[in-house]
Amino acid sequence: MASLNETIRRKPWLGWFIFLASVVVVFFLGLLASSIIERRTEAQFAYTPVVKYDQSEPRNAVWGNNFPREYQSYLQTADTTFRSKYNGSATIDMLGVDPRLVVLWAGYSFSKDYHQGRGHYYAIDDIRNTLRTGAPMNGKPAPQPNTCWACKSTDVPRMMKNTGPAEFYSGTWDTKGQEIVNPIGCADCHDAKTMNLQISRPALKEAFERSGKDISKASHQEMRSLVCAQCHVEYFFDKRNDKKSYLTFPWDKGLTVDDMERYYDEFMFTDWTHALSKAPMLKAQHPDWEIYMTGIHAERGVSCADCHMPYKSEGGQKFTDHHLQSPLNNVEASCAVCHREKTLTLIKNVIDRQDKIIQNRDKLEEVLVRAHVEAKKAWELGAAEGQMKDILMDIRHAQWRWDYAAASHGASFHSPVEIGRVVASGIDIAQDARIKLARLLASKGFNEEIPYPDIATKEKAQAFIGLDMMKMKEEKDIFIKTVVPVWDSMAKEREAGYPSE
Amino acid sequence: MSVKIVKYFLPPPQWQIPVIILLGVITGMAIIIIRTSRAHSYLSDTPETCMNCHIMAPQYATWSHGSHREATNCNDCHVPHDNVFRKYFFKAKDGLRHATIFTLRAEPQVIFIKEAGIEVVRENCIRCHENLLTDSKLLLLTNEFDHFRSGRLCWECHREVPHGRVNSLSSVPNARVPVPSSAVPEWMK
Repeated sequence: MASLNETIRRKPWLGWFIFLASVVVVFFLGLLASSIIERRTEAQFAYTPVVKYDQSEPRNAVWGNNFPREYQSYLQTADTTFRSKYNGSATIDMLGVDPRLVVLWAGYSFSKDYHQGRGHYYAIDDIRNTLRTGAPMNGKPAPQPNTCWACKSTDVPRMMKNTGPAEFYSGTWDTKGQEIVNPIGCADCHDAKTMNLQISRPALKEAFERSGKDISKASHQEMRSLVCAQCHVEYFFDKRNDKKSYLTFPWDKGLTVDDMERYYDEFMFTDWTHALSKAPMLKAQHPDWEIYMTGIHAERGVSCADCHMPYKSEGGQKFTDHHLQSPLNNVEASCAVCHREKTLTLIKNVIDRQDKIIQNRDKLEEVLVRAHVEAKKAWELGAAEGQMKDILMDIRHAQWRWDYAAASHGASFHSPVEIGRVVASGIDIAQDARIKLARLLASKGFNEEIPYPDIATKEKAQAFIGLDMMKMKEEKDIFIKTVVPVWDSMAKEREAGYPSE
Repeated sequence: MSVKIVKYFLPPPQWQIPVIILLGVITGMAIIIIRTSRAHSYLSDTPETCMNCHIMAPQYATWSHGSHREATNCNDCHVPHDNVFRKYFFKAKDGLRHATIFTLRAEPQVIFIKEAGIEVVRENCIRCHENLLTDSKLLLLTNEFDHFRSGRLCWECHREVPHGRVNSLSSVPNARVPVPSSAVPEWMK
């Protein structure tokens, strides 16, 4: 038969038909092509975060736009209704519960005010409200350095990126009040691009380096504890060699209470001189991670997040519960993952350990109060420095051990055997100090029991050590009403200039 | 015979260049569509291929967090392995069905496996785990044999394997899965 083009010459409609058919076919193929391209492009956006931000975005709500479930659970740290036998999510006036603490910290700011911390949500509120930061206004500086902000806010990594840690720590606490306004949150533990866990605080990295360990090689499970170890650790402000209150962890000789004591004693680091006994005192701050690492759970590979941030499932989606709280309020999700006992049994197991250790801890506190009071008496009777030196060192060591065990609120559960040992060693040293004091007092002609002071309430105890609480509270009130709103409004202005979405 | 067909369609001499150009255009467009749709990847067995449709993210994520990650890829379970013709025929049939549903945006929120797929997966469970199922010490012929051994699907008991119990397109919003990257090459961006 003739070729196609000859057929078309004879029947032109055939040509037009073929033309139109091609148009239609190509049109639909084109639609198919568009659909393929569209659905492939969709993959780029299907799992992409809604909002773009970088590592220095301090506002948790912005990060929360991309991770609403984690953010909503984090907001629950604002809840303060839970009370366990000894702690819970509400703030507790520890000096009111145990006025002996006032005497133990006489001459130090903790004797003015010590409230048990509440959820991360309140980190900024609580540091502003505590009497320990004073009432810096009208040119009067705060009694604390800017280092105190280091563990309280996502604004800290933001600022350290610009200035570096040493520059951040320098200056008094009031000078950065308008910069540090967002509470502990996402940027402290997560990388903005990948949401991997990362260390934002230099102190932990530096401590690891000095111990010869590389923190960047930590496994994911180790990181689930190390991000907490950025702040829930013992620390001090290093002022040696012209350093300006440089945040340092005293781990160079090891992580136990004895190792840290040796480290501090080597250069006679002193947090304060006791107002009654004049002993060179050490303050232990929440050595949570160090103590936890000595316990059986850590030995079995359990991380902080496994109990304090267990997995949660909402609507078929599994995510990490960012409501950091006592696992006693979440036994089914925290403990029951591994332990098959009934909830009430597990809670009882925790409380039993706490009860037993607190029994001895309270005894140690009583002995320490007596030691301080007896040392004061010895000074009054004209004891010489040389005579008091060993006694004061014993008091220093004994109270260090008491504080080490007491400052970590979970310690009696995290590592009961070690903490039992620490408290016992504290009692041993404190009673040793008192034996020495008894001999010293007797040599000065005083051979009677010095009565235990009447410190039944916080007010009595604070009066006993000579604090003027009224004035402090009034000044603090004025500070909260006048200075803090200025900080907040300056921060609001600054944040209005941040890229939002 | 074939020469006659070719002669039937040959354009007149003055049209040959335009026709050649048009044929080139059509071929080029076909190549770009094949590249964008990653059609060539369907010849392989890699799990990333199944991620051409981002809808498969929960399946990829659950598989890669389970025991089967180390031992299988998607095709090891979901495509017959008894002979090569059946393998590619099934792949083509199943793939075309997937492609149609994906194009029409007709995928359900909860994807359940179809009859044909059930048969294939069951055969593949047996293919790898045959030793566990035919241990002669354990083999026993009883009245209940057919019901208990052959009357049930493996995953009526082994329900977590391998995609877990939660079944939804949105069950893993933050999973890290190898979805196809941008079709535009780096040097062009």
